[in-house]
Amino acid sequence: MSEITKDLHSEHMVINMGPSHPVTHGTVKFLATLDGETIVDLKVDIGYLHRGFEKMCENGTWQQVIPYTDRLNYVSPLINNVGYALAVEKLIGIDIPERCKYVRVIACELSRMADHFTNVAASGLELGAFTAFLYFVEARDLVWELIEMLCGARVTANYVRIGGLKNDLPDGFKEKTVEVFKKCRGLWEDVDKLLTKNRIFIDRVRDVGVMPADEAIAWGFTGPCLRACGVPYDVRKAQPYLVYDRMDFEVPIGETGDNFDKYLVRMEEIKQSMHIVEQALDQLPAGPVNIDMPQYRWQSKDDIYNRIDSLIFHFKTVIEGIKPPAGEIYHAVEGGNGELGFYLVSDGSGKPVKCRVRPPCFPLTAAMPRMMKGRLIADIVPTFDMINMIGGECDR
Amino acid sequence: MLADLIESIAKIVFIFSVNLGFFAPVLGWVERKQSAVMQDRIGANRADIFGYTAIGLFHSIADAIKVLCKEDFIPTGANRFFHTVAPFVSLVPAIATFSVIPFGGSYTLFGHNVHLVIADLDVGILFIFALASLSTYGVVLAGWSSRSNWSLLGGLRASGQMLSYEVAMGLTIIGVIMVYGSLKLTDIGAMQADFFRWGIFMQPLGFILFLACAIAENKRAPFDVPEAESELVAGYFTEYSGLKFVMFWMGEFLEIVTIGGIVTTLFFGAWHLPFVTDQMLLSFFQFAGPNGAVILAMLVNIATFFAKVVFFIWLQMAIRWTLPRFRYDQIMRLCWKMILPLALINILITGLVVLLWIK
Amino acid sequence: MVGVPLATLKPKRVRKNIELTLWEKLYVFEVLRGLFITTKHFVSNMIGFVIPPKGEKRSIFTVYYPEEKVTLPPAYRGRPVLVAREDGTAKCVACGLCEKICPACAIAIVGGETANEERYPVKYTLDMSRCVYCGYCEEVCPKEAIVMSSEYEGLAQRDRRNMLYPKEKLLRSEENVKGRIEYIRRIYSKCSY
Repeated sequence: MSEITKDLHSEHMVINMGPSHPVTHGTVKFLATLDGETIVDLKVDIGYLHRGFEKMCENGTWQQVIPYTDRLNYVSPLINNVGYALAVEKLIGIDIPERCKYVRVIACELSRMADHFTNVAASGLELGAFTAFLYFVEARDLVWELIEMLCGARVTANYVRIGGLKNDLPDGFKEKTVEVFKKCRGLWEDVDKLLTKNRIFIDRVRDVGVMPADEAIAWGFTGPCLRACGVPYDVRKAQPYLVYDRMDFEVPIGETGDNFDKYLVRMEEIKQSMHIVEQALDQLPAGPVNIDMPQYRWQSKDDIYNRIDSLIFHFKTVIEGIKPPAGEIYHAVEGGNGELGFYLVSDGSGKPVKCRVRPPCFPLTAAMPRMMKGRLIADIVPTFDMINMIGGECDR
Repeated sequence: MLADLIESIAKIVFIFSVNLGFFAPVLGWVERKQSAVMQDRIGANRADIFGYTAIGLFHSIADAIKVLCKEDFIPTGANRFFHTVAPFVSLVPAIATFSVIPFGGSYTLFGHNVHLVIADLDVGILFIFALASLSTYGVVLAGWSSRSNWSLLGGLRASGQMLSYEVAMGLTIIGVIMVYGSLKLTDIGAMQADFFRWGIFMQPLGFILFLACAIAENKRAPFDVPEAESELVAGYFTEYSGLKFVMFWMGEFLEIVTIGGIVTTLFFGAWHLPFVTDQMLLSFFQFAGPNGAVILAMLVNIATFFAKVVFFIWLQMAIRWTLPRFRYDQIMRLCWKMILPLALINILITGLVVLLWIK
Repeated sequence: MVGVPLATLKPKRVRKNIELTLWEKLYVFEVLRGLFITTKHFVSNMIGFVIPPKGEKRSIFTVYYPEEKVTLPPAYRGRPVLVAREDGTAKCVACGLCEKICPACAIAIVGGETANEERYPVKYTLDMSRCVYCGYCEEVCPKEAIVMSSEYEGLAQRDRRNMLYPKEKLLRSEENVKGRIEYIRRIYSKCSY
């Protein structure tokens, strides 16, 4: 056979899974060099969704950045908001009230649930399980209804402020949460029964996209992909922020780092997030949700309408922006994909000098060629899905 | 002579109108609506005529109008002849295979023997397999002639898959043929008059294997790698639009009906109601006179047959929307390493049982 | 490895029980279980079409827009509108805060003074193609003059010039947005601080 093929003029086919392709959601380009169906080489091209987040931050004030952070990881916007606000508060050196911390935890976990629902649904869709996709989209829609009740918009939340929140929890939130979680748990069971022990699904995702733990750390993996490799690292446990040290939750750890482990880790994290939200709602203390420092947090409308000094201060803060002290800070939170870090540089004026985001899915996308060499082209689909590359976050 | 001609024309007209006029448009509606109800949504129901939406049935008409108005293009550099011929080669076997499937038994009507099947061939089953093999050419030609990398990958995958599953499909049927002792589909159908002689009780393993092979031959999920939407955009028919695209789709839907027909005939008692014989039917309809009774019995049998076919269409749609998709090498492994040995074991066991017991 | 004691870390191995038994290795039984789940949804939804659960039209949670509309929560941020006094003029005093805070630079104000030396906006243009519905303009307004209504329909236009909404198109009477004004007074009140 090899003597015959020696005389055949054969060449590798270069195929372009371009920015508009059903599987590259998030607009990324793969240049795959194929030998039949085996991938010989894979080049990843990102940047199709680059919108200049960092430059826009330099033009706006510290408060105006918050709607921009909504659009970074657009399936879990509240986590981005919380990460940025925590970083700025760390820079200023203020501490927020207890109730605000609990409500921020609730918001983060709801967003994380939405993120994981979206990811597992999209993976199911691209592997052909349309029904699992639609069940989880229904569950995600119910979670979005909760978020809409909280802040008024489903995806572009713009909920967290520096030094507090936009508003407190609305009435009837706890009852609606109970109702929504009951439905979500039912749908979770359905999708679990449809996919987890299904041999067709397992054959597609097991032993595909394997990453040994030390290489994963060398590449810079964090989040569910790192935990799937067996490394027990979760920012909520390693460097607890907000009130995560008072919450009782488990961290799911995988074994080999293949796609099946990533899927199982994400499914288990959905359940843990629901548990955290229920605990937070139980332990919620009464009290204010904003700090009473007019130079960092816009004042209440009662004050602005009635007191002239509040009005003057309000004008000053809005037009010039809040003024954190000069310095630089890095703060990381656990995003849906991993460690979402904000590196802020301030020079004491109302506009940030630099606002860099450490996107958790950037090293994951960079490791795609390493995971894909020698596999079939059909393996790109589950691997790329399970990485959960969000274009807004990777390209900013 | 004239009676024979009238009978044949009536049967052809009936089957063609049922197949092309009823099943092809309605199956599109069924696919949309069934998947919608399974997935907790409503489905497409907005197309209306003067404000009357018939729960979405008019979408088929809307689709037909849309398809006829589309531009029909051939990509530059593509092989024009094969690009045009491929949908026909794919569609014609799907329509023609239904001609050997009996949708009722044999009756005596007006002194004339009526067999409710368009063509009562002696080789029955083999005719279906022969025509189904021809549809492979359509897929391969479509993939090759489109001059696009994606179509090529889809066409190559399809050729390998369809050829392998034809082999396996032939072997799974041998058990049924051994039990009933005939290739003629009318004979197999007639022999299932007794409920406990239905094929499903005789050949349960054969039924499962045959259903898997038939769905794979039809390129429906979970075996739809040639047209895998997420990997290959649309696989071998990426470069088709308008009427030619619809011809591929119609071929697929009509093959679903054909598979339903074959499974019913071989395994589920063809046109017989369980525990009801032809004599009971004729005596039940005595009030209408001898010819009327025969006509009514014919109608009952035809209705039973199509009800069973509808159930299998529903089952294939449900399987499509439930299961994820195989990878290409897993499909090949499934065929050659699992279905084929199981089919051979099935033949062995069936042979032993036939020899020792049924004799 | 990370300096967190295992008791606080609480890892949970997810893969322990997922080795397939022989029963599951044969595809058929898991396929039947999957079919059972989808058929259960199918049957319950079909019954829900005929006998809907009490209080609702059908058991599927799809809302049949535009015949049926979703009930929006009070927090919903729709299109920004200007609040008008009883005589039809805008409450806005053209202070320029909303123009400064808008992250998308969608608002353009030209201010002036009336004969009574009160400020008013001579021209107030909101570029709806830029607005991101963040709600900042409502939050900083010191006069309750701009609020986020619950309108979400009729926002698409065929010409980009029609997306520059002038003051006349933005005005709404005070009863129209009364619910929203009460809402913002409640959430931005002193009790949250």
